[in-house]
Formats: sequence, structure tokens, C-alpha cells
Amino acid sequence: MMDTPPASTLPPRTPHKLFSPARIWAIASNTLLELVRLKVFYFLLLFALLIIGSSAFMLDFKFQEQFQVLKDMSLGSMSIFTWLLSVLATSMLLPKEIEDRTLYTILAKPVPRLEYLMGKLLGILVLLLISILLMSALFVVALYIKQQQVLADAVQGVPPEQVQAVIRGVKASSFTVSLIPCIVVIYIKSALLASFTLLVSTFATSSIFTVIVSFVVYFIGHVQGIARESLLSSPHTTALSKIFLAFVALLFPDLRLLSLTDDVVAGNAISSTIFLKTAGLGVSYFCVYSLMAYLIFAFKEL
Amino acid sequence: MNDKILEGEASGPAISIRHLTKVFPIPFRRERVVAVKDLSLDVLPGQVYGLLGPNGSGKSTAMKIVLGLVTPSAGQTQIFGRDSSDVESREDVGFLPENPYFYKYLTGEETLRFYGKICGLSGSKLRAKIAELLKLVGLEDARDRRLGGYSKGMLQRIGLAQALIQDPRLLVLDEPTAGVDPAGSREIRDLILDFKSRGITVLLCSHLLGQVQEICDRIGILSRGVLVREGRLDDLVAIENQTELILENAPPPLIGEIKALVEGSGARLVEARKPHTTLEQLFLEVTASGKETNERPHERRKE
Repeated sequence: MMDTPPASTLPPRTPHKLFSPARIWAIASNTLLELVRLKVFYFLLLFALLIIGSSAFMLDFKFQEQFQVLKDMSLGSMSIFTWLLSVLATSMLLPKEIEDRTLYTILAKPVPRLEYLMGKLLGILVLLLISILLMSALFVVALYIKQQQVLADAVQGVPPEQVQAVIRGVKASSFTVSLIPCIVVIYIKSALLASFTLLVSTFATSSIFTVIVSFVVYFIGHVQGIARESLLSSPHTTALSKIFLAFVALLFPDLRLLSLTDDVVAGNAISSTIFLKTAGLGVSYFCVYSLMAYLIFAFKEL
Repeated sequence: MNDKILEGEASGPAISIRHLTKVFPIPFRRERVVAVKDLSLDVLPGQVYGLLGPNGSGKSTAMKIVLGLVTPSAGQTQIFGRDSSDVESREDVGFLPENPYFYKYLTGEETLRFYGKICGLSGSKLRAKIAELLKLVGLEDARDRRLGGYSKGMLQRIGLAQALIQDPRLLVLDEPTAGVDPAGSREIRDLILDFKSRGITVLLCSHLLGQVQEICDRIGILSRGVLVREGRLDDLVAIENQTELILENAPPPLIGEIKALVEGSGARLVEARKPHTTLEQLFLEVTASGKETNERPHERRKE
């Protein structure tokens, strides 16, 4: 049998930090790298095709309508793509890591579960941010090209003294300040859905279950407002139904409220109060879902 | 027991398990499964400890409790004196799970860099550690290849490297040679012996009893969650009333004289035969390429 030297021959170690942003970023960047190498950004090609298509097939419309269709199509696509990305990317995180046992190798290191979960969520948030920035860039380019086309057509035959007014009118219909809060709210909504998906994945046993539950909740989030209005206006609604509606409203956000797209497409200005209320609602649900996910994960038997 | 292990004994155990019990409730039923029942054992610094048992005997549960992945129903586990539910206790632990996959899209070097970063390493210290570990596990040539293209044996070796990234004093290895061919299995065995020579304590779970016998100082055997045998390997496997002599170049007359002496003394000669090499050793010899050797199998086994 071989001799065993004392353990003191090993080099001294760095003291353990109770909370380490560097560890969280290491996990986040690894999550991001995984998703990038899984080629998730290919969906941007589809997004680009959609906005090019929507620009090409509306040449007979008035210029205000052309801008409305382009904005509606682009902002709607951004909302749907970020939703799909947040649910599909988040749903595979925990179940896959448990199945591959990579979770064990990470948590067997001096990594608190809170940091692990924060790292995973941060990775998804960065992915969503990059995605929405890229889509916004494509959208701005498409809008600019459309603006130049419209301007070229609009000034033809216009008396010189009216040219400036026409240009101002076209520009006011294309780029508006309200586009920014609208895109920020789309991002917050996708982050909220990612945190909900993460919450489900802390107790789900498979990715498919997580995806199905997240899709159902997305659906509930969009129809609950309509159901509530309909049931509450009916004289036959029982107290039990009202309690149930209140419970659903508390558990799941009304996702219709988390959208400023309709106002932006209609050309309405978005006040800072409306924006802050909408963003605050989304951020609150994001925090609650993330906290619930941590509480379940902290006590999970792995 | 050698002096070094005695020295470790004086400084307290690497792993201390006291009256550990784990009960899993079965959802929607009143039944409960007792995975581990009143388990107590110590693993001393510098030891290679084999935790054995059939499937479902509670080995993995006990191991997960030691690593803080599962909460015990009763009892306590400590790593170098720190409660294993404390995150800090894992500074001293490296873990290789059974059949790990890791991140297939990362290269060997990226994998080690990731594990190094979550252990608080960075910069030149991390780069040097990665280079050292890749050399140790023989994966220098595969450092830029993605893990998706690694063989089973290579995955186990990169797994061992990640387990060692923060210089732990304790390694917990769950079936480290599962699914690995005999040559790869031998390499991993040699690595474990190398860790031992560097003062690292190893807790090993394995079904390959021959390998456990080769490398473990002490073993515990679990059956249905209960520790049914525990002690030094040599003590447990020795047959107290028998003695083994292995002679080299002994002429037949000498054998005859020994047999006569034995008969005359009243002892009984149980068996006289030529020692065998192992099937593993034979396999390694015939499949080894480019290695010329005049050594006989049984000579090499005792290296």
C-alpha cells in the first residue's frame, strides 16, 4: 500500500466569499454561451423575413397605414419571439442539468443555490436583452428604409413651401419616442415569463411539462381579463366565482396590461405614469416569481 | 495502518457521519422508503475509502447528503469538521458523479475554466491550474475539442480534472470507471493512487470490487441502507487461519519437501498451484501497442 502524505502539502486556498457576483456571472455567461452555441439566434432570420415581408406587401396603403402595419407586425413579432425564447430556453435549464448531472458538479462546489439560480436567470435575461436589441436594430433599419421610400414619394409634386410640413408629417408617423417604452415593456414581459418558467422548472420533472404549463399560463394571462369583465358584468356570477377570479388575478398577471403596442401603433403618446405603472407591474411579478423559484429550489432534494 | 494515516487520525476525520438516517416519503401514499438507516462512519485524511453495496443500498443517498445535495432526516455529516450543509464545507470537496455529461458544447479547457471561475479562480492562477490538470489527466491534446466529441474515458478524466480544480482535500467519486474500457479504467485507478500520494482523501463508490480491493485502505458495505461491514480492507478480506507463500524458481524437490513438512506438522495444504494473472492484466497486455516489455504479468501487477 502506498504512503500517504499529510493533507497539509496542498496549497492554501482563497477564503470563500458568501456572495460573489463573479460566480453568478460565470454561471450566467456559461448559460448564455450554451444557448448561443445551440444557435438560438437563427430565429432572427425569421424575424427579418417577417418585417421585410410586411414592408413589401403594403405599397398601396397610405403612408400612415404603412407605418402602422410595419410597427404592429414588428412589435408583435418581437413580443412573440421573446416569449417563445424565454419559455423554451428557460424550460430546459434545470431539468437538463439534473439529467446530465452537471447540476451536482456545480452545487458540490462552494456555490450557494441562490447564486446558481441567479446566474441561470441572468444568463436568460442577457440572452433576451441581446435578442431584443438585435430585433430593435432590424426594426429601426426597416422603419428608416420605409421612411426614406415614403419621403421620396410624398414630396413629389408638392409645392416647395409645403415640403417641410410633409417631411415633418412623415417623420412624426415613423419614429416616435413612445417606441422606446414599448420595447422596454416587451423586454420586461419576456423577463417575467422567463421567471415564471424558471419557477415551474424548479418542481417539474421534465422540460416538456414546464413548456406546457408556461404556455397555458401565457394563455390564461391573456384571456383572464376578458373572462373577468364578462363574468363580473353578469348578474349570475356567484361569490365563489369571484373569489376564484381574484385568486387567478393574483397568481397570474393580466398580460394584456403588459403591452403598449396598441397605443404606439395608434400613434398615441405614452405618459411616464402609464409606462412606470406597466413596467412596475411586470417587474413586481418578475421579483415574486423569482423569489418563489428560489424558495422551492433552496429546499429541493436533488 | 501506516504512520501517515495515523497522523490524519489525530487531526480529525475528513468525513464524519453520525447516526445518519434518510427517509423518502412516497407522494400520494402513506409509505416511506428508508434509504439510509443510522449510518455512522469516519473517513480519515489521506485514506481511500470504498463505500460498497448493491443498487439501491443507499450509497448515492449517503454521498449526496455528505455533499449537501440532500437533507438528512436525522443525524449529522461533517467535512473536515464543518457541517456538510454549509456551503463553505464544499471548498474542500471535489465531486465526480456517475456517468456525467457536462456541457457538450464546451471544450475541455473551457470546462475547466468554468469550474475554476465558480470556485473563485481567475487570471494566470486559473490558466496555470488548467494546464496542470489537463496534463495530469492526459488531455492536453484534446483541450480544444468540444466534450461532445470525447469518449467515455475522456469524459471521466475531464470530470476528475474539474473535481480537482480548487485543490480540494477530499474527492468524492461515484462509479468513476463505469462504462470505461479496461485501459481507461486502469488509468483512472492510477490517477486515484496519484491523488492519494498527494494527500487527497478519496471516498469511492464502485461496483468493481477488484478495483476497490486494489486501491482502498478501508471499506464500508451498505445493504438496504444499513452498514453491515466496516473496517480496514486487509482485516476484512484476510482468512485468519490460512497462510499464502508464493515462491519463484522453486525446484520440484523443494516443493516436495515443503509438502512433506506441512503434512508432518498436522497442518493441511489447501491448494498448491501457479498464480494467475488477471483477465484485466491479460487484456491490457495484448491490447497495448508499441510497448515492448519483458516483464511477466504478475511482476507488473505489483508495481
